[in-house]
Amino acid sequence: MRRAAWILFAVVLMLREPSAQGSPDISGFWELSFDSRHVPTASLAPAVTPAVLAKQADQDGSAIRWCNFLGLPMAMDSPRPINIRQGRREIVINFETVATPRHLYFRSAHANMDVFDPTSNGDSIARWEGDTLVVDTIGFDGAKGVTAIPGGGYRTSDSHLIERYRLMSGGAVLSVTFTWEDPRVFRTPHSYEFRYVRAPRLYEAQPPLACNPFDEARAAFLEVP
Amino acid sequence: MRIARVITLLSLAFATTLAAQQQPAASVPDLEGGWVRVDVEGSGNFTGLAAKFPRAVLTPAAQAAAAEQAKRAAQPRFDFARDPSRPKGAGEGYVVTDGNCSLPGGVEPNSAAFHVVQSQEQVLIVRENPGLPRTIYMDGRAHPDLSRWTPTAVGHSTGRYEAGALVVETIGLTSGNVTAGGWRAPETRLTERYRVSPDGRRLTIAYTWADPKIYVKPHTYEIVAERTPPGSWAFESWCDSSDPSQRLSIVPPPQNK
Repeated sequence: MRRAAWILFAVVLMLREPSAQGSPDISGFWELSFDSRHVPTASLAPAVTPAVLAKQADQDGSAIRWCNFLGLPMAMDSPRPINIRQGRREIVINFETVATPRHLYFRSAHANMDVFDPTSNGDSIARWEGDTLVVDTIGFDGAKGVTAIPGGGYRTSDSHLIERYRLMSGGAVLSVTFTWEDPRVFRTPHSYEFRYVRAPRLYEAQPPLACNPFDEARAAFLEVP
Repeated sequence: MRIARVITLLSLAFATTLAAQQQPAASVPDLEGGWVRVDVEGSGNFTGLAAKFPRAVLTPAAQAAAAEQAKRAAQPRFDFARDPSRPKGAGEGYVVTDGNCSLPGGVEPNSAAFHVVQSQEQVLIVRENPGLPRTIYMDGRAHPDLSRWTPTAVGHSTGRYEAGALVVETIGLTSGNVTAGGWRAPETRLTERYRVSPDGRRLTIAYTWADPKIYVKPHTYEIVAERTPPGSWAFESWCDSSDPSQRLSIVPPPQNK
């Protein structure tokens, strides 16, 4: 009888945390260091010819030239700390660069793609698998922002990104593994890992890096062949 | 006896479950999610939203500063040479901005939705269109010394929960206009109180601006927002400075005589 009671007690405790409750808190300012990136070379699909890559590079160059929102994956490769804040129903990631915030919703299903306007960051849903936060993103717009993916390839409107966030070193390091799936771009899913270092506790958020598309000296610098 | 123990254990388990589901605690309002400012006064347009707010009562020095700013604001904001403002034919657009997508943001919500996330050490408020986010530190840190702070459109904010409201204190703002005839300087203190209605659907933000050099008495007004529906998501207000149509108005200004 006593054993049955303890089993029931344990079951109730397990049932009570389907979402973020009781999970790690990855909130903080996180920054990349010179040795933070482990990026293997991507295996690209046959259709991704040098001409296709050159066209994509031109599109990315224009996005940078005109200070467009960077979007994924470049926003996550920020030269400044990224601000991750974990709430009850979502996690928001804000950037100190030219990028819109990311919203990682603790939901079981994506937005209805029939009515979702594709974005540079896509639609992200999140769930905890033990100590790992798994974030699933679709709904990208391949024509917006900087599309280049570390290791090769680029984001399209059909891309599917899975990220796995996990705290390491007693919470001082945040490992994020990015896996891109897109049969038009990759032969096999392409994965790489960034390890973010926690910024000092009293770090103060800074205004984003300035970007003036009408700065002629800047434009000339970027457009040098 | 055993049955009593089982009942006690189960009660304890259910009680902790309920307590966990009720987080955040009753004294911490649930602000998390998307909010859209609403027109509670029936103003009919965004500019008119503040028309019925009590007007600020400024000191003479602040009145002079505000008048100087108004004079500067009346100047053209960009090179009108790109658009001679001659009368346009039907369907021909008027250039009304320089097309720069950078916006300064500010402490008040604009016409786009804003989104709040509450973590233990920080409340973060982000917009859907360009502009600085509000970073509200809840970790007990003090405001910085203003002699070592570069003023911004959102300043430096610290917060606390008080009687079911989020109370935010801000200093370090850039000098400029404040809603309903107000004025501000980096030393001006803004106190905001965020209160959620009992049904969780409405958010009232009370703004109080205080600065003895600027205000004869504290300047106060309220903004109301409605929670976005469950399952909704943040939009991305895309803006591309290379797009010529970005500079045009969809509403032609009055024709030149």
